Amino acid sequence: MKDLRGVSSEFLRSLWYKNEPVCVLCSEGDGPICPICTENYLHPELGRCLGCGKLIPIDLLQCQDCEAGKGPKQLDKVVAWGHYYGGLKEFIQNVKFNAHPNYIGQIIKPFSEWAISQLPAVDGVVAVPMHATKLGERGFNQAEVIASALHWELGLPILQGVKRIETRVSQVLLSRKERLQNLRGVFAVPNPEDYSGRSVWLVDDVTTTGATLEAVAEVLRGSGVRTIYGLCLAAGREKKLVPSSE
Amino acid sequence: MLFFLTINKNGIVSYFPHLERDKQGSDVSLLTTPLPLAVIEEIQDQLHRRKLLDMWNFGKNKNTKLEIIRLLNDICGDTLHFSWEQIQANTLSHQGRFEEEVKDEIGVRFNQIVLGRQISIRDFRGLARELKILEERVIELAHRNVVQGKAQWVPSVKQHGRGWQCQRCGQEDVEEWPSLYGTAATCRGCQSIGVSTSLDVLYRDQRLLIESPREVIFLPHWDLTEAQRLASVQVLNYIQEASEGRALLWAACGAGKTEVCFPSAAWALKQGKSVLFAAPRQDVIYDIMPRLKRDFPKYPLQVLTGESSVKFQSGGLVLATTHQVLRFWRAFDIIFMDEMDAFPYQGSKALDWGLEHALRQGGKILYLTATPSPEGLKLVKQGKMRLIQLPARHHRKPLPIPVWLKSAYSLEPNCNGCTEEVVLQIRTLRREGPVLVFVPKISWVGSWIKSLRQYFPDWKVDGSYSSDLGRAQKIKRLIRGEFDLFVSTTILERGVTLPGIQVVVLGADHSIFDERALVQMAGRVGRTQECPGGGVIYISKQISPAMKTAVRWIKDQNRRAMELGLLDQQEGRRNLERSQRSL
Ligand SMILES: [Zn+2]
Ligand SMILES: [Zn+2]
Ligand SMILES: [Zn+2]
Repeated sequence: MKDLRGVSSEFLRSLWYKNEPVCVLCSEGDGPICPICTENYLHPELGRCLGCGKLIPIDLLQCQDCEAGKGPKQLDKVVAWGHYYGGLKEFIQNVKFNAHPNYIGQIIKPFSEWAISQLPAVDGVVAVPMHATKLGERGFNQAEVIASALHWELGLPILQGVKRIETRVSQVLLSRKERLQNLRGVFAVPNPEDYSGRSVWLVDDVTTTGATLEAVAEVLRGSGVRTIYGLCLAAGREKKLVPSSE
Repeated sequence: MLFFLTINKNGIVSYFPHLERDKQGSDVSLLTTPLPLAVIEEIQDQLHRRKLLDMWNFGKNKNTKLEIIRLLNDICGDTLHFSWEQIQANTLSHQGRFEEEVKDEIGVRFNQIVLGRQISIRDFRGLARELKILEERVIELAHRNVVQGKAQWVPSVKQHGRGWQCQRCGQEDVEEWPSLYGTAATCRGCQSIGVSTSLDVLYRDQRLLIESPREVIFLPHWDLTEAQRLASVQVLNYIQEASEGRALLWAACGAGKTEVCFPSAAWALKQGKSVLFAAPRQDVIYDIMPRLKRDFPKYPLQVLTGESSVKFQSGGLVLATTHQVLRFWRAFDIIFMDEMDAFPYQGSKALDWGLEHALRQGGKILYLTATPSPEGLKLVKQGKMRLIQLPARHHRKPLPIPVWLKSAYSLEPNCNGCTEEVVLQIRTLRREGPVLVFVPKISWVGSWIKSLRQYFPDWKVDGSYSSDLGRAQKIKRLIRGEFDLFVSTTILERGVTLPGIQVVVLGADHSIFDERALVQMAGRVGRTQECPGGGVIYISKQISPAMKTAVRWIKDQNRRAMELGLLDQQEGRRNLERSQRSL
């Protein structure tokens, strides 16, 4: 690494990241994330499913789906920072649908600190690519913004070159099986030699079934990537844990 | 949208949009990672500066490719990995392909539509759908125009001094965020017509809106009144000869200011000039549209309203909301800007910037208003803006002058403001016609309806405000004359014509009522031939400066109309007598 990097990253960081005096998720408690929101959305007391990143009881290794072999297979481990729910869900939706990529700066410090506590160091960060049409509507790819922020925060290089070839039906309304089918052949790596033998963090904003991460991981594996860790801002929570939904 | 950077044998840096590689030309080195235009421009700029420096240093020959990678690492902060690729010779040369004129039907149609436009990639997507072709094809057609010097790509948000500036709306207050290409910025000023970021581009077509003058049939379906004719001559004179780039048409409420511009528009179109009628709000546009269509039969009229969807039409006469004006670039010779003091145009730097930049160099803007802003009047005083007046209504009767009724009590709800005196005044007004009662705040509406219903049990009394769900329905009934008394916030201030209506403004000294609102409310009265007169009463504890100014403006209009002989004699005299008794 160049010595300069520390300096320039520190300097650039000061442009985006103000110290957050109030909690980013609830605007009430102390910033950047207050103890109550930490408890409600980040759940440090829960474990993460190794297969798909879902929030699960601390004594388990995998969620029921992954246990039953229905989860992603290409990833070495997946972790999600918090539960895609309430304040964290609103925050992510505000970033995406109200076009506020700058808000990522407000959470990147606690998020990146958490990420290095959960995942081993790697050769670089890969953002899940977005199709050009959606990119045009939104003006930015939130996964890319998170990856860039991680780069500035932790000095990890960004690995580019995964392409999204076409848009399929939006994932939201599909079943798990349909989701995996729906994503076949959507991603490609034109220059596999850039990836051969590398280890990466594969970054996205939200994961529900892990299908998107799996589809990208598949082409990364095909390009010779050695180790792939999935990293997301938020994921679902094992249903069994929520009494009201039973 | 991203572009591919290339260098040719002579070290010239150029770029082209994302296209299939085999169609590209020969003998160039290509950077395999596509980049935002803002980054490419930054590199071109830096290389140019270094070249100048190198000339001083007696031309140390540097490796441009290495230089570019170094610059990129600087700009993007080592985020990306870059490499070069040599493009092999091909049957079609890159430049050659883009220099050819398009002759196919779609290409020709595309070129008619984009004339004078400023188009975002998102808008191009809409255009591709409309033309039923691929987005890549649209981008290719656009880039062809850029190569041929007919258009330009510009970063949507651009570095500007030490900060940023949106190239669509001029906004400098942007939101910064981390991107693969260093700090990026998003504009919030014009987001209602789609996102604008520093990673994206705008297409600016630099051709005129009309390629050649075409036949203009102007068939006005009305006779201008004397007042309108006088103003119309002055407008034409301004359009044809004046040196000032801006003029203000200050018209009495209900004097018919829009039609006054039609003869000038006809003249300009016949000269092959392009004309824009702009207004801040959709309802004004839909009010003007049928009149333009009727008086300019067969001439293609482009109508653009709605905040997000874009309809592509062609022709030199455009009618658009001020938001849509952001989709044109130096396209118009003449702009008629109606209701300049209305929301959302008034006070919006973005829309004002858009209007200025939709005008061709040396073009002219005529602002139309019944209630000019202080800034507008200041420009008139400084001699930077020509003033044209239209002081009289078509029926040759003077504007009703507001009368002040001093109230001993506050008129806020539950302050005993509904006195015998107020009730008596309203009862007297009702003999002339239905009474419209304006209040400054929504919270006043309900309680005043209640009080007034108690005093007038036999009357139909109701009211409304902007967020009232039944508003549209009630206003329809109001126009049909179904109410004796109607209480409202300023939603009815503009546009609506209510035959025989009389006006009361409660709490006229409230800070929410500036002189313009007060003039507009008074201007509801006496708009029709059948009921050209009527009463306006301002009720308040004090006389505010705004009330004084409003009355002065109305009196000035009447006096001027008198001087020009635009009022019927008898009426004029009575009006003067009356004005001595008022404020
Ligand atoms: Zn909180
Ligand atoms: Zn799982
Ligand atoms: Zn803007």
